[in-house]
Amino acid sequence: MSIKTFKGGAHPPERKERSASSAIEVLDRVTQVVIPVNQHFGAPIQPLVKVGDQVKRGQKIADAAGRMTVPLHASVTGTVKKIEPRMQANNLDGLCIIIEQAPVDETEFLPILDPFACTKEEALARIREAGIIGVGGAGFPAHVKFAPPPNKPIEYVIANAAECEPFLTIDERVMEETPADIIDGMAIVMRIVGAKKGIVGLEDNKEHLVPILEKAIAASVADISVQLLATKYPQGGEKMLITAITGREVPSGGLPMDVACVVSNVGTLRAVSEAFRKGKPVIDTGLTVSGGACETPKNLFVPVGMLAQDLFPAAVRYDESKLRRVVMGGPMMGPAVPSLQVPIQKNTSGLLLMDASEAKTYAEGPCIRCGRCMRACSCRLSPALLNVAFKASDLDQAEAIGALDCIECGTCSFVCPSHIQLVQRFRVGKQLVRAKKQKEAQRAVK
Amino acid sequence: MPSNNLLLSSSPHVFTGVTPQKLMLAVIIALMPVSVYGVVLFGLPALLVILVSVLTAVVSEAAFRAITRQDIRIGDLSAVVTGLLVALVCPPSIPLWMVGLGSFAAIVFAKEFFGGLGANPFNPALIGRAILIMSFPAAMTTWHVPFKGIVDAASGATPLNIVKMGGTIADVGAGFVKNGLAASSDYGATLWTLFLGNRGGCIGESSILLILVGLAFLLATRVISLLTPLAMVGTAFLASWLLGMDPVFGVLSGGLLFGAVFMATDYSSSPVTPLGKILFGAGAGLVTVIIRKFGGYPEGVTYGILIMNALSPFMDKLRVKKYGFVPPAKPVAKEASK
Repeated sequence: MSIKTFKGGAHPPERKERSASSAIEVLDRVTQVVIPVNQHFGAPIQPLVKVGDQVKRGQKIADAAGRMTVPLHASVTGTVKKIEPRMQANNLDGLCIIIEQAPVDETEFLPILDPFACTKEEALARIREAGIIGVGGAGFPAHVKFAPPPNKPIEYVIANAAECEPFLTIDERVMEETPADIIDGMAIVMRIVGAKKGIVGLEDNKEHLVPILEKAIAASVADISVQLLATKYPQGGEKMLITAITGREVPSGGLPMDVACVVSNVGTLRAVSEAFRKGKPVIDTGLTVSGGACETPKNLFVPVGMLAQDLFPAAVRYDESKLRRVVMGGPMMGPAVPSLQVPIQKNTSGLLLMDASEAKTYAEGPCIRCGRCMRACSCRLSPALLNVAFKASDLDQAEAIGALDCIECGTCSFVCPSHIQLVQRFRVGKQLVRAKKQKEAQRAVK
Repeated sequence: MPSNNLLLSSSPHVFTGVTPQKLMLAVIIALMPVSVYGVVLFGLPALLVILVSVLTAVVSEAAFRAITRQDIRIGDLSAVVTGLLVALVCPPSIPLWMVGLGSFAAIVFAKEFFGGLGANPFNPALIGRAILIMSFPAAMTTWHVPFKGIVDAASGATPLNIVKMGGTIADVGAGFVKNGLAASSDYGATLWTLFLGNRGGCIGESSILLILVGLAFLLATRVISLLTPLAMVGTAFLASWLLGMDPVFGVLSGGLLFGAVFMATDYSSSPVTPLGKILFGAGAGLVTVIIRKFGGYPEGVTYGILIMNALSPFMDKLRVKKYGFVPPAKPVAKEASK
């Protein structure tokens, strides 16, 4: 099988060996869950329950009208204790519903629905009702992604199985243990968007999964194949994945559907399959717990809203004296959090407990113009020049040289010998550019 | 809870481990073969020139930054590289105070005045050399035959000088035979001698073979890209040929290859974009040959690169098309929409 990839990128140490061979453990007994109400990208939703209410596992507890919304479900059976702002994984306070788990487990799932017998509208409604969001990235509502306008026909459904972030192995384990669910999810999405072809994009460090996936594909009627990709960060970036597999480039400011593709993470596809076959909404999260301070690296399914600290010491042990940094997600893009009292969300893919050797920080040095960031940039931007523009507060110049095309993968900061805070500056700078554009647009209207 | 000693920082949380210091160290290692060979050719005086130059560069940078109350950065080794480069493009007979002055000028005038590492618009070592050539033309153009010590009896012209003065490549070959540097004066043997570097000239410029060894090291460690040296040497070859000069001789003699590999690839004074690098190299090669052919100096590498340094900020505008580039809508269409 030929191995495809994109131009640029870098190869951070993988560190996956510590957790890759441990089978997924399911945790369902917790004391309480702190479920952030707004975990999706889009319009905010409102709680449907009040303090003191009894809720069942799978029961809808928050929702709102509007296209860019998804409902939220209780991840445990129990009593609503509080509804108040708490700190979320993005280091911001957000409204959370706090549920204390009851000793008996009762479920309130959706009715089972045959995804190949229902209409497309019914299928999309089910995906929304199940609260499915893209778990690989920003949490984009899946039912919006799977409903492109009629003038954008979809050719390929691509399963994002690259898992290019170091340390993380949860997608790898999900594919190894439940390959049929992934393939089923793909077939369902292919039917909804009308795609003829499905492709699983897999980094070649997981080549051992090819026969497992192909066996599951053989049992499906959909036209799906596996494509090996070079192990290179950010191969799992939506745009890089599309380019590697199809050779097409998502146009600047556009979406994957502009090049006739829909990309979904394997975790999302598993959720799609479960939403139909079991009627199960998104109430659990798969994640890898690893890092130098973690003594028992492993892969877990936990209820959405479980606090990271409740994993210890029953499920996971760590060396408190060694712990220097906690990262939600992978080390390239995941935010560091100030404590372990952070809820695990639908799109949390990892919890990294880093030791001192992994938590080094550096002072910013001068740019020596070595050009490494430019060779590594997966979007073929010029981080060194963008940095100059942002440092000079020249937002026009920054926008002109492509600031808004930056996908914030962090490869530039990873390769910079002077440890310049490139992507960090771009994250802030992009907000400034957007704010400025908005202001200009408002002025133009007046 | 260990929340008090938890580190908060923005992702990414991992790094390659490459530092400016390691990159500079790689350049120093790449310069070692030519440096050692320069000492082999010209003896102790060459070694002293190198040591004085490096020492002056490091002390000048530390002193300047201390006086101007900036952090001392000599640990990044960039001053060592500059000092070494200044020495390697000077003749071995240069008085030690003079090379010290050149090294001082390189660091203070060309580098620190502009903000230090990464901020210098011109190649510091070449500015140092240019100042020395203009200030002390005689000392900077006194050449010695290798292996005979730095004595008056051993002085002699460089191959480029001989040709500039109206001589032929055969005359160069005859000179090699006379001084026992080559067994035969035929064309092939002369070029071979030039390739190995048994000739008079600057301390580090003569051996093409060892410069190529340095280049291979820098490419293998991914410190520099091949684009600039290739464009510079390629253009010089082509331009020499078009102007009726021997292109192979042009590439093997003088400081073209040394300049192309170690000077034109200076990070801060050359473009960062691939197309910029190619244009930069091509321009430097072209100017070099024009000076060699029509200019007052036999060698033009210094000014070829310095002139292109001045243009390099403009070449940074020659970026590659970004991912998903969409050509901007034509102005006509905009008019129509109004």
